[in-house]
Order: sequence, then C-alpha cells, then structure tokens
Amino acid sequence: MTPSAKLLFKGIDEPGLATLAGYERRGGYQALRRALAMPAEDVLGELLASGLRGRGGAGFAMGKKASFLPKGTMDKYLVCNADESEPGTFKDRELMQKNPHLLIEGIVIAAHAAAINRAFIYIRGEYEQQARILDRALAEAEAAGYIGDRVLGTDLSLPLVLHRGAGAYICGEETGLLDSLEGKRGNPRLKPPFPANQGLYQGPTLINNVETLATVPAIIAMGGAEYAKLGTETSTGTKLVSVSGHVQRPGNYEVELGTPSREIIYDMAGGPPPGREVKLWFPGGSSSPVLTAEDLDLPYDFDSMAKAGSMLGSGAIIVVDDSTPVLDVALKLAKFYRHESCGKCTPCREGTNWTVQMLERIERGEATPMDLDIMASVQEHIIGHCLCVLGDAMAMPIGSMIKKFRPEFEAHMEAMQLGAPVASEAALAAQGAA
Amino acid sequence: MPRPERQTITFSIDGLEVEAPENTMLADAAKYGDIEIPVFCYEPKLGDPVGACRMCLVEIEGIPKLQTACSSPVKDGMVVHTQTARVKEAQRSVVEFLLINHPLDCPVCDKGGECPLQDITFGWGPGRSRFIEPKRHFRKPLELSPLIAIDRERCILCYRCVRFSQELAEDYQLVLLERGAHSFVGTFDGHPYVAPFSGNIIELCPVGALTSIPYRFRARPWDIEGAGSICMLCPAQCNTELTVRDERVLRVLDRHHEGVDDGWLCDKGRFAYQAIHVDDRLTTPLLRDGDGELRPAGWDDALARAAELLAGAGDRTAALAGSTATNEEGMLLARMLRDALGSPHLDSRSGPPVDLDHLRALGAPALQASVPDLEFAHAVLVLDCEPVDDAPILEMRIRKGVRRNRVKLAVATSRPSALDPSAAATARFAPGHAAAFLAALSGALAGAPDLDDLAAAAGCTAPELTGLAAALEGAQDVVVLYHDRILGGPDADADAAAGLLALAGQLGLARTPGAGLIGIPEAANGRGLREAGVLPNAGPGLSAPPAGGRGAPGIAEGLANGDLDVLYLLGSDPLRSHPGRRAWEAGLAAAGGVIAHAAFLTEGIRDHADVVFPAEATAEKEGTVTHPDGRVQRLRPAIGRPGDVRPEWQVLHELSGRLGSDPGLPTIALCSEALFAAVPFYAGLTLTELGGRGIRWPVRPGAGELLPGGPDTATTGEADGGGTAAGGAQPTPTPTPAPTPTPRRSNALTAPGARLLLGTYRSIWAAPEVEYAPALKFLAREQRVELSPADAARLGIRQGDEVLVTGGADQQVRGRAELRNAIPEGRVFLEAGIAEHAANGIDGPLVSLHRATSTNGGPSGSGTPARARA
Repeated sequence: MTPSAKLLFKGIDEPGLATLAGYERRGGYQALRRALAMPAEDVLGELLASGLRGRGGAGFAMGKKASFLPKGTMDKYLVCNADESEPGTFKDRELMQKNPHLLIEGIVIAAHAAAINRAFIYIRGEYEQQARILDRALAEAEAAGYIGDRVLGTDLSLPLVLHRGAGAYICGEETGLLDSLEGKRGNPRLKPPFPANQGLYQGPTLINNVETLATVPAIIAMGGAEYAKLGTETSTGTKLVSVSGHVQRPGNYEVELGTPSREIIYDMAGGPPPGREVKLWFPGGSSSPVLTAEDLDLPYDFDSMAKAGSMLGSGAIIVVDDSTPVLDVALKLAKFYRHESCGKCTPCREGTNWTVQMLERIERGEATPMDLDIMASVQEHIIGHCLCVLGDAMAMPIGSMIKKFRPEFEAHMEAMQLGAPVASEAALAAQGAA
Repeated sequence: MPRPERQTITFSIDGLEVEAPENTMLADAAKYGDIEIPVFCYEPKLGDPVGACRMCLVEIEGIPKLQTACSSPVKDGMVVHTQTARVKEAQRSVVEFLLINHPLDCPVCDKGGECPLQDITFGWGPGRSRFIEPKRHFRKPLELSPLIAIDRERCILCYRCVRFSQELAEDYQLVLLERGAHSFVGTFDGHPYVAPFSGNIIELCPVGALTSIPYRFRARPWDIEGAGSICMLCPAQCNTELTVRDERVLRVLDRHHEGVDDGWLCDKGRFAYQAIHVDDRLTTPLLRDGDGELRPAGWDDALARAAELLAGAGDRTAALAGSTATNEEGMLLARMLRDALGSPHLDSRSGPPVDLDHLRALGAPALQASVPDLEFAHAVLVLDCEPVDDAPILEMRIRKGVRRNRVKLAVATSRPSALDPSAAATARFAPGHAAAFLAALSGALAGAPDLDDLAAAAGCTAPELTGLAAALEGAQDVVVLYHDRILGGPDADADAAAGLLALAGQLGLARTPGAGLIGIPEAANGRGLREAGVLPNAGPGLSAPPAGGRGAPGIAEGLANGDLDVLYLLGSDPLRSHPGRRAWEAGLAAAGGVIAHAAFLTEGIRDHADVVFPAEATAEKEGTVTHPDGRVQRLRPAIGRPGDVRPEWQVLHELSGRLGSDPGLPTIALCSEALFAAVPFYAGLTLTELGGRGIRWPVRPGAGELLPGGPDTATTGEADGGGTAAGGAQPTPTPTPAPTPTPRRSNALTAPGARLLLGTYRSIWAAPEVEYAPALKFLAREQRVELSPADAARLGIRQGDEVLVTGGADQQVRGRAELRNAIPEGRVFLEAGIAEHAANGIDGPLVSLHRATSTNGGPSGSGTPARARA
C-alpha cells in the first residue's frame, strides 16, 4: 500500500494529535464545516457514493444503513459501537487513543447526514484510558462548539455522551449494546424490528463501528467518488487490520482493501518466527472460519474472504503457526464463547457448553472420531438457529477447524489412546488390589 | 381507544391455503390450518415475543434463514413450511439442546403428564440424545417462596417467569442471574419471591422447574379432574379451573377469560382453596346451649330454633348478606325478610344506604364500562380504590393498558397506591373526602378559576387537581374505577354519588363507547346482591321496595336499642367486615337472637350466634353471581359438600317455608329462573346461555330500558343513540355545567396537629381464608399504622415501633408503625378486615397516636429506623 492511501492512520503517532489544537492544526474539523455547509441529503449521497462498508464485522453499506432511518421529527439516535470485544481486534483502541477527535468529527457528520439529534459512544469497560482520552476530547469539542447545542451555529444540535460498558462480549452485538446502554442486562433483542426503526429507547437508531465513523471525515474531505476509487469495486477504501498471534511484528496496519493477505501477514507483520510456517489464520477476528496457508494469496477484501468460506469481519488477522495444536486453539476459542454466551437462546447457550465439554474430552483422550462427527453436527445445529450471531461466532470457526484439521484431531485421539494403553488395566489392577 | 381490527389474509402453510387475521404471529396463525408449531418461550399473554427458545423455527419462502414463528407476523401470500427436512432437523436439534441439561426425572416430577417439554419431546424431538457429558447441577429443590419450589436443573431458561415479574406484574423481583449455561432464575438479592401475583409463574412454566409447594406430590395428572368455577374471594370474580381429586380441591388454575381475568390469578385466589379442607371449617349446625356454649346439633333442631327465633322477631328481624352469597341466596333472603317476616331491614353493604336514584343512575347500562375497557381506554381514573387490594386482577389489567396501549392513568386516592409509579397524574385527598374531591376535580375540569379553596376542602393540592384534569381532558374515552366506599363509607364526609355522576357527565362517559364506570363493591358478589334486592331501599332489579328499611349502621343501632330483635347473617360477620365495631358489639350483645351461615367461627359468630348453619365453600356452590361490570356468571359445584353441610339456598328456602311463605322453588335451577324473572334486566337469561363465560347484562339488547333511572343524557345536550333516556322522570343530576360547590372546609382538615385524620383500607390478604389456608398463613396481616415520616418524627415514632392509636371514647388499636413518604402529613391509615386490632376498633375521623410503652424493652427501642418506603 502506498503511504498516500493512509486515511485513518495518517500521522497517527504525531505528538499532540489527541488534543483539539493538534487535531485542528492538521486540518481537523474542516470536513465537518464542509459537511454542515451541505444539505444533509448531499452528505448522505457522498456516503452512499463512497461505498463504505461497516467495519464492525457485518460489512453492511454504511450510507444505506443511514438512509433506512425514517424521516420525521422524533428523537433519532446515533450509537457508536466502541465495544471492540472481538478477540484479536484492537484497531479502534489505537484510533480512539491517538486520534479521538477524528471519531467525534465523524459522528457529527454522520448525525447531520441522517438528521440525528442524540449520539452516544458505547465504549468497552476495559478501555479505561481511552475513555478518559475521549472524555477530555468531548469536553474540548463541546467547548469549541463542535458538539452540543447548535453545532458551529447551525441548526444541528447533538449532545454526545460517552458510556462505559461493564465488560461483556455480547454488548458488542448491536441490540445487546442498546439494552446495556438503556441500563438493562445486555441481551440481544429479536430482529426485526431493526435498530434503524426501533432501537435505543424504541427510537430510530443508527449504530456504527468506531472505524466506520472515523472514515466519514475523509470521505467528505476527498469526496465519496474519490474514496470509492480506493480498494476494490465492492470493498472500497482502506481498512485497519489488527494482526496478532504468531507474527514477528504484531500491530495495526492500514491497508487498501484488496491487498494480498500474504503481504499483510508477511511483509507488514513479519510473518511467523523463523523456521515456522503458518498453519491457520483467522481473517476477521476469532469468529471467522479459519483459513490455511493455501489461502494466503487471496486478496484481503470482503468478497474474497466470503468466497473462501470465511469473512473479513472486524479485520483482525490472528495467525497460528505450526507450533500450536489445533485442539488448543479450538478449546480456547470455545471456552471464550461459552463464557460470553448470554444464555438467552437455546442453541448458543447449550451448544457452546456442549462443544467445550466435548473438546475437553478429546483433550483428555476419552473420545473417538465419532465424537468429531457429533461435534461437527452440533456446530451445524447452532449456525443460523440462534437469536444473534454469537453462537455462529463459535460454531463457524470450530466447524471449519474440524473440517480442515480432522486428521490432526484424530491423530491426537489415537496418540492419547496409544500413549495410555494400560490405563484401564492399571485401573483394574488397582480395583483388584483394593 | 379503538380495539385493534385485523383484516383476514390468506397464506400458505405446508401446502394448505389458510385464512388468518393479518399480523397474527405465525405460531398462532398456523392453528387456523390445524397445524401446530411447537413453542416454549412464546406465550401471547406475556406480550411481545422474545424468540429465546428457538423451538418454533420454520421456513418462510423468500427468507434464507429459518425464522421463529413466534415473532413472524403473517402476511398475505406468505408461504410457510413446517415439515421440511431443514425445519425438522432444527426442531430436533433444539429439543436435543434443551434436554442435555434437563434431568429427565419425569417419573417424580409434578409436571409429568401435563408438561409441554414432555409433549414436544415426544412430538418433535430426536428420540435419543448424543450427550454423554456430565449434566449441569444446582441445589434443588429450593423454595423460591413459601408457595413456589424452584428446580433449576429442570429449567429450560425460557424467560416466561422473568418476563411475568418484570413486564406483567411489574414487581421486578425475578431476574436471570449469571450468564450462558450458568444462567439461573432467582430474585436479585436472594429474597423469597413474595408478590400478589407470584403463583402465575407456576402455570406459565413449560417444564417442572416451578411447582406449587401446596400441590407438590399431591396428585398426578391421571388422578385428577378439572372443574370450572369462579373465585369468590373478591369482586374480581376470576374464572378458575379447580383440580379435583377424590372430592378434594387440590389446586386452582386460571380459566382464561379475556373479559374477566385475562388469564391471571392472584395468590389469594390460587392458594386459598386449602381453607375448604381444614379442620377449622364448620361442617355441622351449631346451637348455643343454656350454658352459653355452641354445640353441634342436628339440622332439624337448628332449623326449628332458627324458625322459632325468626317467627318471634317478625318484622323486628334484620339481615346482612356478604362475602360469597349468590344472587339466588340474596333473592331468597330478601323474600324471607320481606315476604315471610315483613321486615325491610336488610343490607349487603356496610355503610349507610345510598340514594336509590343514585344507585340506578350509577348502574345504568350506558355508564357501564367492561373490564377490557380498562385496557383500551384513553385514560383510566382510579378513584379511592386500590385495585391490588380491592380487586387484584384488575391491577394487572391496568398495568397492561398503560404498558402496551399507553393508557393514561390517573390515580386519585387518599392512601398511596401501588399504581402511583405507573400514573400520569396522582392526587392524594383526605380520607373520607371523596365527595369534596369529586367537586374539586369537576371544578378543575370545568376550568374553575380558583382551585385553592376546592383543593383545600378535599385535602389535596391545586396542582394535583390540574394534573389530573390535564390527564383526563384530552382523552376521548375514560374509564373510572371507583370503590363503593366513596358512596358513604366508614369515614366519608358525604355521599359522593352525585359528584361521581356529575363527573361522568362532564367526561361524557354515557355517550362514549368504551368509556364508563366500574364500581368495586365491598362483597365479592356485592353487585349481584344489590341487584337481587338485598338493600334496605331497593327490591329486585333496583325496584322501589314496598317499605324502606334500615341500612347496616341502622341495624346495629336498632339491635342495640331494642328496635330490632334478631339478626340473620348470610356470610357476614359484622365485627370483621363492618366499620364501627363498638356499635356492632353492642348490637350483637343486645340482640335477641343471631342466626348465621358461616364456614368459620370468626369472632362475631363465635361470641354472639345462637344458631350457626355450616356454609358451603364456593367450590360446592351452585347459582349465579354478578361481576362488577355486570357480567352474570354461573357457579357450578366442583366437589361434594363435606359433613352435614347443606346448600344455603335450601336452608333459606326451608326457613321461609317454616315461616309460612314457601317460595315454591325446590331446585336451584328454579331459584335461578325465579331470579331472572324477578330482576327485569336479567329477564330471559338461562343457565345454559350463561354457560362457562357468563353474560354482561348491560350490553344485552334493550338493557337501557330495563333499569330505570339512567342518566338522562338529553340534559347534557349531547346526541345519544341509546335508549337511556327512559329514566327522564327520575331526578337526575345535571352534569354540565360542573357544580361549583361552596368549599366546605371540614373540621378534620383544620384540626390541631396533635390528632391525625384516620383512613382505612383492606389488604388483599385480609381475609379469613388467608388465615385458615396453611400455605397462606404466613401472609396473614397484623395491624400496621401507616403515617408520614414528618408526623412520626413529631410524635417520636420510628419505623417498626409499636403504636397505640386512640379514637372515640377510650377505643384503642395497636399496631406497628410503617413510615411512608407518600402519605401526606396529618393522616394515618389502618388496616380493616384483619383478625386482631382491626381498624374498625376505633371510630374516626380524628385519632391520636403514641408509642406503646413496653415494659420488656420491646421492639420499639431496639430497632434501627429503616428508611420509609414510598
């Protein structure tokens, strides 16, 4: 990727960028002034033209989502999803920590585009430092008239409230987030109604990820059509990618969508330590079905990942090299989802629990290959049957691991049984002695 | 508010073309095609679906993912499949998931045999499990409350009970604790789940996780029979289904009637059945011996003694009817008094008589709202009525209306109400000042310029009045729910009937469909007894009686001063249920004879009755009763009568015969026929027609002409389509313009601060059945003296202190202080209807309070002051 394509991370490490003065010095809030001078429909038009797809995981076109909000004079809400709870994802954290005003500017422009009059940032509880930085930035922005009553003297009024979550993965799910924001237990809601019609406090609500909203100023600055030239035809623009796991230079990288995956994992992140090979990788956070070394040359964009049977998700690449058994990865993952399942719907609550128990039995060597069939079938029974996507988030990667690494699972079972052939005899002997 | 009207659409399900109302959820719409879609969490009574259990997944053409039928509204042309391999696999997988942590202990589970989980497992499950891991374990069974056992291992986490607590009863006690596979149902802080409607969660539970402790291990579904009945513990008259095994009632379930109870029961109605089968219940007649003891006697002796007493007293006999007495019993009682004895002194109310014209006007068909109207009105005014105590199930209906249909709720009571938090406007007027309050409210609605004097006369504030007026003004249809106590109760300033009728005129209740009045009487069948003629000033159908008689307070006085001789009590113990205990004690002591029908020896019966006939339980009764909204309902016996108990109607019939006036109605069916013939607006009803659902007589054709004295809507100048002008000859109040009464500042409101104005209330738990049913005993109430924290501070009283309340001449009642922020200064509330230290022990309106000095340290000095509740 060429340095000129850097939009979100442009000069991200510049000292003082997190302050209003530093941000303005670099031309901050100019896009907002420009947007406020345009009719709301035109701003929305730019967003639609940009082809920007949601960066939170689902990849739904942002402008389209904003256009779903009903017209009318009721209270409308914008909620920025800063829960960033997907394992392997840490791009929003860096963005909020180092350039909080970019997010605030994006929120105000989006609110203008969709005629929204109240906005919230729901930030995960663990991001205490980032919350403090955002709080400071919000105070600065309010004092400077960028948020609050009559933004920059226009008719737009936008109180913007920062709310800290209490640490639950499910609160990153948009309707769980809304329940939590309303002060309830964060459980996902039934859809429909979709938040665009009945979201926060039953009002029309636009929910977007931090990165999505932070991209908005750049789109207004350069024009939607110009932005759409970046990336591929259906995956426009740049994407922040969090690379973690067995790579030598883990971190956040901004890439143009469509960049070959190998380039990101090897050229940017340095690839696995010397002497080791990529065994599998999650292209879009822990809930994306795993890909293998064979898939490394795929272009990194929404459609290529989907075509390969996985997804771009939150844009978090987790690399696992050949030093780690796939069983360990599966068990770690399943335990995480069992712990985070809210328990509201049956397949997720029981399916995650069952899967963990089966994986533990496999680990202990008390399983046969038939158990792999049962486990695979359980994953199929979860996928598409749940109230929200949390169940799928475990079932898809676990299912893909069983499918792609079945020989390794079977080898483990065999080894465990061969390794302890006299276990039962010893037990019998012990019984006999007693 | 218009009821939702739904168009019929056609959709296809499993290849069948089916017609169903548009937007019905698929799970319900499928039933129109005789197709069952299995559900666990879906229960339409609970409101919006939650889609948690995922049991009802179906395929809808055009939508790639399987959809939950419970949350998919049916549309015209929709094509649905419930039998495809994909759907079946999804259903099987959900059953498998649900069973992996379920103990499958059906053989020892109370729910076994009537368990949706069992049925659905057989119907839609995979038949075998592949789960071999250890199951989840919880300590079990635990008492969720003294009435409900919870087995968390059986729970399938369908959310029904939690939703009930959070969104229906709004007691906000049940929650899901923990997360994921560790989730379990409990109360937030581990307290027992004690609430007026808690028992409903037992019936809601689709598995055996929540079971009734009184019913636990008493029967299996194949041992029992169901019998439809009506709960007669309060005027709400909920429809019930009694579970009967070997002539014993073992359980009470709801018998969903949208027009009455909406499918819910309160805990009193659900658990008080135990009182039918306790040893304390009377099962033989009793006669008072020469030595003053009540001893068992044969029927011949008892009837002879009663007839002798009655014949001796003649027209100096008086009668009170209450509690569960049926319309037929009321009619026979009235006939015995009026025809056989020539006495006009009978009453079914406890207060002074209400003007007959007012009674007729208040009962006029055009003014009657139905129970469902509470849910669909634009506004509901609760007037000196505490629904959760006076007719509990109506509270749930009001909450439903506010929550789902955004009904504007206005609460105007003297005692703070449980509905206050749901209300758009509230007002606290002085106890017993309903008439002044109604005048003030009418003034506010008419835009009277200076409300301060009106408000002061009622003991409320002007902003409260304007707030209520604002809530009511814009509303097209208003339902006013009032309690009979405003029509001259124990401490009323005046009969508020005229004011209520004026308000009804101002709000246009008579001419607006869906608007009207619902009056909650004191006795469960108060309306029926009134209409059957058990009033001193009204015969059957509110006709003018041949001679006017004494009302209840007059009867007490007459007995005491010798004007009256014998008192006949039909399901009534005035020491328990009537105000003015001192007067009644004097009356009963002076009476030449007291004859009572009673199931239990409550104080008045025990100490004063000469003849006691054992009374039937409601489950044993046959006859009709009338709901406060005019619905005539039928009672049918579910079990046989124990011991020597005889039907009360037979006893009344027999006594009339012995007194030389045989009614000639040898069967209960003939009694009902005679009742329908005697009450003009019941004319033509038949028991068959009443069936299991009852009939609201105010909506029968021509009802308007059958009750004379309806509000003359012509005087309002409004067009009116109904025939309610028939009573034009009667003196009717002119509703508009609003009366502007001279503000009358009652002495009570300006009294020196040393004494407080007394108000009384009767809690849902103040009933002999609660004291006698073992399961409910823990809820039986002791006197608590409710007062404001400011008065308490001034009087040196702290929360929980033992307090002596003194009123009248050296009358005292003892109770524990309960500080409530929502009570205005200068007022104190005492509970009526309880066994000891009941409010009727002292006479108001002004009473003084002081801390009881206890010699043993007592609770008064030791307790830390708790925070006052709202």
